[in-house]
Amino acid sequence: MIIVNLDVMMAKRKISSGELAARVGITQANLSILKNQKAKAVRFSTLNDICKALDCQPGDILEYKED
Amino acid sequence: MGYNNGIIRWTKIATLMFIGITVVGDIFGIVITKYIALIWAGVTEIEKISMLAVVFYLGTVGAYVVLFSLLKLLTNMSKDKVFDRQNTKLMGIITAALIGIAVVCVAGGFIWFGCWELTIVSLFMALVVMSVKVVFDKAITMKEEMDLTI
Repeated sequence: MIIVNLDVMMAKRKISSGELAARVGITQANLSILKNQKAKAVRFSTLNDICKALDCQPGDILEYKED
Repeated sequence: MGYNNGIIRWTKIATLMFIGITVVGDIFGIVITKYIALIWAGVTEIEKISMLAVVFYLGTVGAYVVLFSLLKLLTNMSKDKVFDRQNTKLMGIITAALIGIAVVCVAGGFIWFGCWELTIVSLFMALVVMSVKVVFDKAITMKEEMDLTI
Protein backbone atom coordinates (compact mmCIF):
# COMPACT_ATOMS: atom_id res chain seq x y z
CA MET A 1 0.00 0.00 0.00
CA ILE A 2 0.99 3.59 -0.55
CA ILE A 3 1.68 5.62 2.60
CA VAL A 4 1.49 9.41 2.51
CA ASN A 5 4.22 10.92 4.69
CA LEU A 6 2.98 14.44 4.31
CA ASP A 7 2.97 15.26 8.02
CA VAL A 8 6.65 14.21 8.34
CA MET A 9 7.63 16.52 5.51
CA MET A 10 5.46 19.32 6.90
CA ALA A 11 7.17 18.97 10.28
CA LYS A 12 10.59 19.08 8.60
CA ARG A 13 9.66 22.26 6.73
CA LYS A 14 7.85 23.67 9.80
CA ILE A 15 4.72 24.44 7.81
CA SER A 16 1.17 24.29 9.14
CA SER A 17 -1.76 22.53 7.45
CA GLY A 18 -3.52 25.82 6.82
CA GLU A 19 -0.47 27.38 5.20
CA LEU A 20 0.24 24.33 3.02
CA ALA A 21 -3.42 24.12 1.94
CA ALA A 22 -3.36 27.79 0.99
CA ARG A 23 -0.09 27.42 -0.96
CA VAL A 24 -1.23 24.30 -2.80
CA GLY A 25 -4.71 25.64 -3.42
CA ILE A 26 -6.72 22.84 -1.80
CA THR A 27 -9.04 22.88 1.18
CA GLN A 28 -7.83 21.89 4.65
CA ALA A 29 -10.42 19.10 4.58
CA ASN A 30 -8.83 17.62 1.44
CA LEU A 31 -5.34 18.01 2.92
CA SER A 32 -6.59 16.14 5.97
CA ILE A 33 -7.93 13.31 3.73
CA LEU A 34 -4.47 13.09 2.17
CA LYS A 35 -2.65 13.12 5.53
CA ASN A 36 -4.97 10.50 7.06
CA GLN A 37 -4.41 7.99 4.22
CA LYS A 38 -8.06 8.25 3.16
CA ALA A 39 -7.37 9.49 -0.40
CA LYS A 40 -8.02 7.10 -3.28
CA ALA A 41 -5.92 9.07 -5.78
CA VAL A 42 -3.70 12.14 -6.06
CA ARG A 43 -3.65 14.35 -9.15
CA PHE A 44 -0.20 15.03 -10.65
CA SER A 45 -0.99 18.75 -10.49
CA THR A 46 -1.68 18.51 -6.72
CA LEU A 47 1.48 16.45 -6.19
CA ASN A 48 3.42 19.01 -8.22
CA ASP A 49 2.08 21.88 -6.10
CA ILE A 50 2.80 20.03 -2.82
CA CYS A 51 6.38 19.25 -3.91
CA LYS A 52 6.81 22.90 -4.93
CA ALA A 53 5.44 24.17 -1.61
CA LEU A 54 7.54 21.76 0.48
CA ASP A 55 10.59 21.87 -1.79
CA CYS A 56 10.82 18.08 -1.98
CA GLN A 57 10.48 15.10 -4.32
CA PRO A 58 7.32 12.93 -4.69
CA GLY A 59 9.27 10.08 -3.09
CA ASP A 60 9.67 12.15 0.08
CA ILE A 61 5.88 12.26 0.44
CA LEU A 62 4.82 8.90 -0.98
CA GLU A 63 6.14 5.54 0.21
CA TYR A 64 5.30 1.97 -0.77
CA LYS A 65 4.81 -0.54 2.06
CA GLU A 66 3.80 -4.19 1.67
CA ASP A 67 0.32 -4.97 3.06
CA MET B 1 -32.83 21.29 -12.50
CA GLY B 2 -36.29 22.90 -12.45
CA TYR B 3 -37.35 20.52 -15.22
CA ASN B 4 -36.25 17.49 -13.20
CA ASN B 5 -37.97 18.81 -10.07
CA GLY B 6 -41.20 19.08 -12.08
CA ILE B 7 -40.93 15.43 -13.13
CA ILE B 8 -40.18 14.36 -9.56
CA ARG B 9 -43.13 16.38 -8.22
CA TRP B 10 -45.56 14.83 -10.72
CA THR B 11 -44.16 11.34 -10.11
CA LYS B 12 -44.68 11.85 -6.36
CA ILE B 13 -48.28 12.92 -7.00
CA ALA B 14 -48.79 9.82 -9.19
CA THR B 15 -47.28 7.60 -6.46
CA LEU B 16 -49.61 9.12 -3.85
CA MET B 17 -52.54 8.47 -6.19
CA PHE B 18 -51.48 4.83 -6.56
CA ILE B 19 -51.24 4.55 -2.75
CA GLY B 20 -54.79 5.94 -2.60
CA ILE B 21 -55.97 3.40 -5.19
CA THR B 22 -54.32 0.58 -3.18
CA VAL B 23 -56.06 1.77 0.01
CA VAL B 24 -59.42 1.82 -1.80
CA GLY B 25 -58.60 -1.62 -3.21
CA ASP B 26 -57.92 -2.89 0.32
CA ILE B 27 -61.22 -1.45 1.62
CA PHE B 28 -63.22 -3.13 -1.17
CA GLY B 29 -60.85 -6.14 -1.33
CA ILE B 30 -63.49 -8.77 -0.66
CA VAL B 31 -65.88 -7.29 -3.26
CA ILE B 32 -63.06 -7.03 -5.84
CA THR B 33 -61.85 -10.60 -5.28
CA LYS B 34 -65.44 -11.89 -5.46
CA TYR B 35 -65.90 -10.00 -8.76
CA ILE B 36 -62.61 -11.38 -10.15
CA ALA B 37 -63.44 -14.90 -8.99
CA LEU B 38 -67.04 -14.96 -10.23
CA ILE B 39 -66.89 -12.85 -13.41
CA TRP B 40 -63.29 -13.20 -14.69
CA ALA B 41 -62.17 -16.55 -13.32
CA GLY B 42 -65.57 -18.26 -13.24
CA VAL B 43 -64.82 -19.71 -9.79
CA THR B 44 -67.65 -20.25 -7.32
CA GLU B 45 -66.03 -22.38 -4.56
CA ILE B 46 -65.64 -20.42 -1.32
CA GLU B 47 -62.14 -21.91 -0.67
CA LYS B 48 -60.85 -20.67 -4.01
CA ILE B 49 -62.42 -17.23 -3.53
CA SER B 50 -60.82 -17.04 -0.06
CA MET B 51 -57.48 -18.09 -1.53
CA LEU B 52 -57.80 -15.37 -4.16
CA ALA B 53 -58.59 -12.85 -1.42
CA VAL B 54 -55.43 -13.89 0.48
CA VAL B 55 -53.38 -13.50 -2.73
CA PHE B 56 -54.99 -10.08 -3.29
CA TYR B 57 -54.20 -8.81 0.22
CA LEU B 58 -50.64 -10.20 0.17
CA GLY B 59 -50.20 -8.50 -3.20
CA THR B 60 -51.35 -5.18 -1.79
CA VAL B 61 -48.84 -5.52 1.10
CA GLY B 62 -46.11 -5.80 -1.57
CA ALA B 63 -47.64 -2.86 -3.41
CA TYR B 64 -47.48 -0.71 -0.23
CA VAL B 65 -43.79 -1.61 0.24
CA VAL B 66 -43.05 -0.71 -3.39
CA LEU B 67 -45.05 2.54 -3.34
CA PHE B 68 -43.76 3.85 0.01
CA SER B 69 -40.17 2.96 -0.96
CA LEU B 70 -40.69 4.78 -4.27
CA LEU B 71 -42.08 7.79 -2.40
CA LYS B 72 -39.03 7.84 -0.10
CA LEU B 73 -36.76 7.49 -3.15
CA LEU B 74 -38.43 10.43 -4.88
CA THR B 75 -38.26 12.51 -1.69
CA ASN B 76 -34.52 11.83 -1.49
CA MET B 77 -34.12 12.85 -5.13
CA SER B 78 -36.06 16.07 -4.62
CA LYS B 79 -33.60 16.86 -1.78
CA ASP B 80 -30.71 16.35 -4.27
CA LYS B 81 -29.70 13.12 -2.51
CA VAL B 82 -29.38 11.18 -5.78
CA PHE B 83 -26.19 9.13 -5.64
CA ASP B 84 -26.69 7.88 -2.10
CA ARG B 85 -26.38 4.36 -0.67
CA GLN B 86 -29.83 4.78 0.93
CA ASN B 87 -31.37 5.05 -2.54
CA THR B 88 -29.80 1.80 -3.75
CA LYS B 89 -31.03 0.14 -0.54
CA LEU B 90 -34.56 1.37 -1.36
CA MET B 91 -34.21 0.02 -4.90
CA GLY B 92 -33.19 -3.32 -3.39
CA ILE B 93 -36.33 -3.27 -1.21
CA ILE B 94 -38.49 -2.45 -4.26
CA THR B 95 -36.91 -5.33 -6.21
CA ALA B 96 -37.47 -7.76 -3.33
CA ALA B 97 -41.10 -6.61 -2.93
CA LEU B 98 -41.74 -7.01 -6.67
CA ILE B 99 -40.30 -10.53 -6.58
CA GLY B 100 -42.51 -11.20 -3.53
CA ILE B 101 -45.58 -10.00 -5.46
CA ALA B 102 -44.56 -12.27 -8.36
CA VAL B 103 -44.30 -15.29 -6.03
CA VAL B 104 -47.71 -14.54 -4.50
CA CYS B 105 -49.20 -14.12 -7.99
CA VAL B 106 -47.80 -17.53 -9.04
CA ALA B 107 -49.95 -19.08 -6.29
CA GLY B 108 -52.97 -17.03 -7.42
CA GLY B 109 -52.41 -18.20 -11.00
CA PHE B 110 -53.61 -21.69 -10.09
CA ILE B 111 -57.05 -20.18 -9.41
CA TRP B 112 -57.11 -17.45 -12.04
CA PHE B 113 -54.69 -17.41 -15.03
CA GLY B 114 -54.67 -13.59 -15.04
CA CYS B 115 -52.42 -13.67 -11.96
CA TRP B 116 -49.61 -15.14 -14.06
CA GLU B 117 -49.72 -12.07 -16.30
CA LEU B 118 -49.14 -10.01 -13.14
CA THR B 119 -46.23 -12.32 -12.28
CA ILE B 120 -44.55 -11.61 -15.62
CA VAL B 121 -45.14 -7.84 -15.33
CA SER B 122 -43.87 -7.86 -11.73
CA LEU B 123 -40.73 -9.83 -12.60
CA PHE B 124 -40.03 -7.55 -15.57
CA MET B 125 -40.35 -4.48 -13.33
CA ALA B 126 -38.05 -6.13 -10.76
CA LEU B 127 -35.50 -6.70 -13.53
CA VAL B 128 -35.65 -3.04 -14.59
CA VAL B 129 -35.33 -1.74 -11.00
CA MET B 130 -32.46 -4.17 -10.31
CA SER B 131 -30.63 -2.94 -13.44
CA VAL B 132 -31.07 0.69 -12.34
CA LYS B 133 -29.79 -0.30 -8.87
CA VAL B 134 -26.62 -1.80 -10.40
CA VAL B 135 -26.04 1.38 -12.43
CA PHE B 136 -26.56 3.53 -9.30
CA ASP B 137 -24.17 1.32 -7.30
CA LYS B 138 -21.46 1.80 -9.95
CA ALA B 139 -22.12 5.55 -10.11
CA ILE B 140 -21.90 5.87 -6.31
CA THR B 141 -18.59 3.98 -6.26
CA MET B 142 -17.24 6.26 -8.99
CA LYS B 143 -18.49 9.35 -7.12
CA GLU B 144 -16.82 8.19 -3.90
CA GLU B 145 -13.53 7.69 -5.76
CA MET B 146 -13.86 11.13 -7.35
CA ASP B 147 -14.59 12.69 -3.95
CA LEU B 148 -11.43 11.09 -2.54
CA THR B 149 -9.21 12.22 -5.41
CA ILE B 150 -7.15 15.16 -4.20
